[in-house]
Amino acid sequence: MGSKFVFSFLIILSLFINIYAQDDFEFKPGATIGGYGELHYNYVKPENTEATKSLDFHRFVLFYGYNWTEKWSLKAEVELEHNFVQGGQGELELEQAYINYHHADWFGFQIGVVLPSVGLINEYHEPPLFLSVERPDYHNKIIPTTWFGNGASVYGFYNGFSYKATIMEGLNADKFSASGAIRSGRQKGFKSNAEDFLYNVRVDYLDIPGLKVGGSFTYNNANGETVDNAITLIEGHAQYNSDNIISTFELGNISYDKGNVEQSFGYYFDLGYNIGGLLNSDMQIIPFFRWTQYNTAASSPLGLSFEEQYEVKKWMIGLSLKPISSVVFKVDYAVQTSGANDAETNLFNFGAGYMF
Amino acid sequence: MKKILIIILLAAVNFPAASASIKEDTESLIREKLGDSITTEFIKYEIPKDIKKQIETESRQKFYGDFVYIYKVFQNNKFQNLVIVDNVYGKSMPITFLVIYDTSGVIYSSGIIKYREQYGGGVKSGEWNKQFNGKDHKSVYEVGKDISAISGATISVNSITRGIKKLTLLVNKIKDSL
Repeated sequence: MGSKFVFSFLIILSLFINIYAQDDFEFKPGATIGGYGELHYNYVKPENTEATKSLDFHRFVLFYGYNWTEKWSLKAEVELEHNFVQGGQGELELEQAYINYHHADWFGFQIGVVLPSVGLINEYHEPPLFLSVERPDYHNKIIPTTWFGNGASVYGFYNGFSYKATIMEGLNADKFSASGAIRSGRQKGFKSNAEDFLYNVRVDYLDIPGLKVGGSFTYNNANGETVDNAITLIEGHAQYNSDNIISTFELGNISYDKGNVEQSFGYYFDLGYNIGGLLNSDMQIIPFFRWTQYNTAASSPLGLSFEEQYEVKKWMIGLSLKPISSVVFKVDYAVQTSGANDAETNLFNFGAGYMF
Repeated sequence: MKKILIIILLAAVNFPAASASIKEDTESLIREKLGDSITTEFIKYEIPKDIKKQIETESRQKFYGDFVYIYKVFQNNKFQNLVIVDNVYGKSMPITFLVIYDTSGVIYSSGIIKYREQYGGGVKSGEWNKQFNGKDHKSVYEVGKDISAISGATISVNSITRGIKKLTLLVNKIKDSL
């Protein structure tokens, strides 16, 4: 009788424990969706040439995540660029698709289609997160955003420091160019050549409110059918978003082992201020200024006259308006000088974007 | 012996390690912030439907569930603080956090109990959480102005900020009835 009582009591007790666990903190498996998109109007007027005008739904992206447990999950992102895919125009890309194991704050890993951690925008590129209509030129010419590929990463956060290290498919050295640096060398996860992996590591410091400061190092002995060319990309970045100030600075350098280009170099900075409060508005109204300078052939064995062809300087003023934090309307005007003759191009852009 | 084994098995199945860990982490964080000499009283609090709806509209964020978890904290048998534990969604995973209030509903401290994703871990920063100290239900909680943004943590920052505002509105309404 006594033992039955004890048995029953313990069974009931264990059920109470269960109720506590389930009601309080138990993790529930499930799916989540997210995404972003952006429409752009671009007016480009090169010196002594007719202006071009285009209207482009540049990106439509859907994020899908499934959480099996609080440690094991799937993250995937599919992107349609330029609204339509036909004859080499437009792109349909699987930009992310990885299994994520989150062991603890200080350690997790991902395997699948992953993003190397290079600069501020490669991993965080939703339209409300940067000020201009188009992504900064630096993130096209120096850092080939969005840079993704087949591979694996480890990551973590400890004592104010965040880190991520990635090993993934390398670049195609045949497609490097003086005008586009390494951008066309991305394999984008398409039956990737895995002869030589790309190694990337990034460290950021985050323990000062509003400030993120860090840098990354990337190395790949890039293969090609006609040439191999080792590259090293070193970049630093800082962003301060607080007290209505929005400021960004990024600087990067690519060194090449051989070829017509020895070095690609660039930087830009943004300075914006949210005047919404001054105007008694709930919206964020952010006028901003940007200065950009880059040269995809900053150093070449062919000499100064070759290098000068690829020198670009650009100033931009603009306005970014967010009625809510996830929706943005943007307008910007820029003057770009490029090449040995400092040819001038006027650019005007308008855009609308969202994220959820 | 068989019965003991069955009991152990039932207990193991019924008390998942993750849940135990969060409860322990919660109580550990409370003691870290308020000292080891405190005593606590745990309350599973069902949010009245009318209050829930009103606060969700004002904070522009839904509650994670119909309940929040409250610790009444006593120092030398004197009621000193109220702690609320809740979840908000980050990009795809829930973030478990707590807010500690004084007896008048002013935030004494806040902290993240469990963060489950790569991106946005900056919200765990003690310095970032300190920005909420001293705020109450009348305060402004605007990211980028009153609360610093964190580069790479936009969704988490907005979620946690709204979550803390939401709990502060709740505390103001229920503190006298607890």
